[in-house]
Amino acid sequence: MSVDLIFKIAAIGILVSVLNQVLIRSGREEQAMMTTLAGIVVVLMMVSKEIAGLFAAVKTMFQF
Amino acid sequence: MLVKLIGAAVLIGATSVIGFSKAADCSRRPRTLRELQALLQMLENEISYLSNLLTEAFTRIYENSGVEAAILFKAAAQNLEAGGVTADTAWERAVDDNAPRLSLNKEDKSILATFGKMLGNSDLEGQLNNIRLVTSQLRLQEIKSEEMKKKNEKMYRSLGVLSGLAITIILF
Repeated sequence: MSVDLIFKIAAIGILVSVLNQVLIRSGREEQAMMTTLAGIVVVLMMVSKEIAGLFAAVKTMFQF
Repeated sequence: MLVKLIGAAVLIGATSVIGFSKAADCSRRPRTLRELQALLQMLENEISYLSNLLTEAFTRIYENSGVEAAILFKAAAQNLEAGGVTADTAWERAVDDNAPRLSLNKEDKSILATFGKMLGNSDLEGQLNNIRLVTSQLRLQEIKSEEMKKKNEKMYRSLGVLSGLAITIILF
């Protein structure tokens, strides 16, 4: 399951970088910025569950 | 799994089609503007040498030219033949009806509308001046739209495919 997630994030990264290039080439810097931001937000939402899991694990570690 | 794959393929296909049709729209506009300039040149000849009636001139232009933009003249001639309208309204209605098909935008439409306003409203010299004025304005629009085409055509194409890919990856 986590390998899947990594591949997904990598694919999104590649796509966003290509979109960024395309948009900058056609002189739309603002939209390029927006797509980059959207990519970041999407990836963060995907990762947030895993981060929450990590915090929970750390919490159980330090509970006596 | 199979259903998911089919759905992904359909999604990418749909966004690609949208992108390609936008790109086709982009490249149709300069062509239409170029054709319209040639057609107005023909109209100038019709008016100055042959002194034809407007309906006749429009029909002849449509029949002789064979380019896509000539449907404007055909529609205007039909509106005139139907009767009860001035040349101005007939022309304006024709422009309104056919603008989406010819990928004309608001500016082009307003230029063509001002051409209609002067149509059949003055003597020969005034008509010819009007046609020349509109032709020069259309030339400016053509140059602008050519630039837009250069900028946007490739972008729309790649944007269509890539956005489809992005949505599938996020949803998968």
